[in-house]
Amino acid sequence: MDVLIFMVSGTLAAATALIFAAMGELVAEKSGMLNLGIEGMMATGAAMGFVAASVSGSYTLGFVAAAGLGMCLSLIFAVLTLVFRANQTASGLAIGILGLGLSSAIGKKFESMTLPGLPDLPLGVLADLPVIGPMIFQLDAMVYLSILLVVATWYVLNRTKLGLTIRAVGESPETAHALGLKVRWIRAGCVAFGGAMAGIGGAYMSTAYTPLWAEGMIAGRGWIVVALTVFGTWMVPRVALGAYLFGSISLLELSIQAFGVNVPSQLMSALPYLVTIFMLALISRNTLFIRLNSPSSLGATLKLQ
Amino acid sequence: MPRLVLEPRETTSILAPVQVAGLALALTLVAGGVLFAIYGVAPHKGLHAVFVEPLLSTYGIGEVLLKMAPLLLVAQGLAIGFRAQVWNIGAEGQLILGAIAASALAIQFDGTVSPLLLPAMILAGMLAGMAWAGIAAFLRTQFNANEILVTFMLTSVALQLLYYLVTGPLKDPMGFNFPQSISFGQSASFPLIIEGTRANASLFIGLAVTALAWVFVRYSFASYRLSVGGLAPDAAGYAGFASKRAIWIALFVSGGAAGLAGVGEVAGPLGQLQRNVSPGYGYAGIIVAVLGGLHPVGILFAAAIMALVYVGGDFALLSVGVPDAVTGILQGILLICYLACSLLLTMRVRWVRDAPA
Amino acid sequence: MAASVLGLTALPGWAEDPLKIGFVFPSPIADVGWSAELNAGRVAIEEHFGDKVETIFVENVPEGPDAARIMNQMAAQGADMIMLGSFGYMNDGIKLAEQRPEMTFIHASGYKLAPNFGNFQSRNYESSYLVGMAAGDVTETDVVGIVAAYAIPEVIGMINGFALGLQEVNPDVTIKVVWLNSWFDPPKAQDSARALMAQQADVIYSLYQDTPSVVTVAEEEEVWVINTSSDMKEYAPTWLLASQIADWSAYFIESAQASIDGTFEGTAFWGGMADGTVDVRSWADAISDDTMAAITEASDAMKAGTFHPLTGPIADQDGVERLADGVTIADPDLLGIDWLVAGVETRLPN
Repeated sequence: MDVLIFMVSGTLAAATALIFAAMGELVAEKSGMLNLGIEGMMATGAAMGFVAASVSGSYTLGFVAAAGLGMCLSLIFAVLTLVFRANQTASGLAIGILGLGLSSAIGKKFESMTLPGLPDLPLGVLADLPVIGPMIFQLDAMVYLSILLVVATWYVLNRTKLGLTIRAVGESPETAHALGLKVRWIRAGCVAFGGAMAGIGGAYMSTAYTPLWAEGMIAGRGWIVVALTVFGTWMVPRVALGAYLFGSISLLELSIQAFGVNVPSQLMSALPYLVTIFMLALISRNTLFIRLNSPSSLGATLKLQ
Repeated sequence: MPRLVLEPRETTSILAPVQVAGLALALTLVAGGVLFAIYGVAPHKGLHAVFVEPLLSTYGIGEVLLKMAPLLLVAQGLAIGFRAQVWNIGAEGQLILGAIAASALAIQFDGTVSPLLLPAMILAGMLAGMAWAGIAAFLRTQFNANEILVTFMLTSVALQLLYYLVTGPLKDPMGFNFPQSISFGQSASFPLIIEGTRANASLFIGLAVTALAWVFVRYSFASYRLSVGGLAPDAAGYAGFASKRAIWIALFVSGGAAGLAGVGEVAGPLGQLQRNVSPGYGYAGIIVAVLGGLHPVGILFAAAIMALVYVGGDFALLSVGVPDAVTGILQGILLICYLACSLLLTMRVRWVRDAPA
Repeated sequence: MAASVLGLTALPGWAEDPLKIGFVFPSPIADVGWSAELNAGRVAIEEHFGDKVETIFVENVPEGPDAARIMNQMAAQGADMIMLGSFGYMNDGIKLAEQRPEMTFIHASGYKLAPNFGNFQSRNYESSYLVGMAAGDVTETDVVGIVAAYAIPEVIGMINGFALGLQEVNPDVTIKVVWLNSWFDPPKAQDSARALMAQQADVIYSLYQDTPSVVTVAEEEEVWVINTSSDMKEYAPTWLLASQIADWSAYFIESAQASIDGTFEGTAFWGGMADGTVDVRSWADAISDDTMAAITEASDAMKAGTFHPLTGPIADQDGVERLADGVTIADPDLLGIDWLVAGVETRLPN
């Protein structure tokens, strides 16, 4: 039973950082912007969030600072790609490198320090339910917020005019431009949102999930976020599902090991990527499906005058 | 009201790339100077340590050449694909596969004095890189799967494959269970080209690939076809209409070149297969390709500058005592400045006095 | 006149030229962890020798093609001696040692030697045995979990020492291991600790985790925790059972002195309880008096050289006898140990 509680509550927590960053990246990608600097933005967010929360004693301030700095980094990406018409892939990698360096510089004096960790927020009566309570209703506030974020992202992208605009811009920036939409501003806004969410995702790692700062602690999670958007075929519920799936696979590996069974850990680590490639091949064949869901202009340099 | 407008250049001057590089470097020097000042290091001393000091000793020059070889290989290969709008961003994975294949041969034939071992490793590494990139080409041509995403994810798979092999089948049986292979013998290593340094003959492969790329871009009909194939996706969008042939060529060339870079590492400075085969050459190569304006000669210079910043950053750690974070930030700044300035390659900025009609 | 005679008779490179020692650390120097322990050795050298030495260091140097550049740069800057703080620096270090016979090198946890290239290991299995006894004493669920990085001999030796100490006090304990297969991944380390706790482990042995990741989660979940490398009492004031520490000061000072004197020899140094390299700090009060007395007794015996934890009869996980009754494991065998003792539930990876 404890193992079940660990797996469920652990998965929810493990997926939280991924969900924040993935929702942000999804919105950016929906507008046609492939920002590969997520790893650097998450790392910077983690360092900034930890330092700000440590110094001020406020977790809220930590998340705000992390979101702000993540946004600043992503805006460099936006300016490079939208104003200077630089290639998205190279620009994303460039701010990724900058972000990793920045995280190391910001966190230097705080290396290996710890925080008490974001306190849990038991949800009233629900938290007292047997088994289900500790499993789902005794987690920290950010876990619940991440679920709200998924719902909100889905709603905005699919049910609002703003969402329609974002999708139109990602589908064909030229057409959107011809229709009088401010393509650059909309894309910059989506990228900034992505940066802020990546920052928060990083800060969740360093202030709540593993409440300490250690250089390199994001350890590839930013790359997983990029894979998640593809795995989820740019559909909000599927991306979220992917994050939970990924979280549970990584915990399952450890649980199985603790049962005394050896698992081929490298195969487990590679599995999410193999499955994603398989999914991508499967859906890409279906041109109609791809046209409906994937942003057509993803990664392409804006050619507007 | 006078204002700035951007206009497409009608002709690109031969000097434009040099001017752009100079401007980006100047901006980086300014930003770098500020960065050093923040860390309490006199800016001229810090910049001297990064950009000049490595060039003052034979050893330093050797290190720059050593670092340049893989960057050059990866970037030249990628640029050919990029020109055709085939975005292979998984050179890191293809490099790892090249390193694995070459290492497998070196381990299998450990102790041999045959002069054929190294050429066989080079060939195996190239083929392995091509095969790994070929997966993406296959999925793109047969299933229409976006090669940016496939190559990217295959890198993560390659990394896990490497981890598995160095802790399993390719592990040194006498190596006390540390995750690494045996040390390779002389016949499985590139000869050194400068006495007293680590610069080795794999640089010549990089230079040869550069020459080939230049010929390819300059004269080849295939290149023409590649760029035509590459122009189409602008119109056709995500699905991509780059010809199947162009996709296969682009991914085979870039994968093969990255595989060669992997051989250069295990048969060069590493001398064995281990977890840290590449400190991100596959990703840095993308940046070098873009910085070089996707032109073989430009890439040659971009690779040299990137290598200098890497090596200079390490030098600065000791000679002026800045933390390692500074190197990363400096690289990031250089790239960002360069990417921003690259706009001037295709556009020019002009003051306009009167308001547009 | 007298002064000039003194000047003539002074050994070259002695008074006027301090011994310059370079330190290469594999991770950032923090307050705790592997690099912090090595850095404490550097500070000890400076305090001991004063003006006679000068130290330089670079932290966070990845094992790979770039590490050689840092070492060479140190040599170019006139370093007379270099301390290499990680296994992965071995091959590059050996190469440099051949090129620079006038320099001396000490290298952490490797196995290659040269006349001017020595290495150092700690007999951590000794202190592992002691903390194992404590774990056997305090566990109520009779399940103990270990979070371990890689299955390298040093780690295997420590798990074996720990298990033997544990079984000495409490023969019925189940010992579970989670292999991270990573030197550094604090979130994964913490997840592993939670996974073990979910399977009733009430003592967690954090084996070579550089950050306080496991220690803090244990304090939060109110589970006993044992730490290696540094004393992490301040991160788990209530639930830290003990910390295994390594103190390299004496060995570093000795090696520096030998380098100054020109008597350096490239040998394998094994530091243990006897010479103070290995020790345990911050024993928890919860350990029973009987067990604490037994721990002190075992500790004294190890210091006196009369007791070696890996002394037969010892069988491995398959029940095969590895050490016959009364036979003590030889150091070379320890350097390459690749089997776990009976009673450890999890197998070695691969």
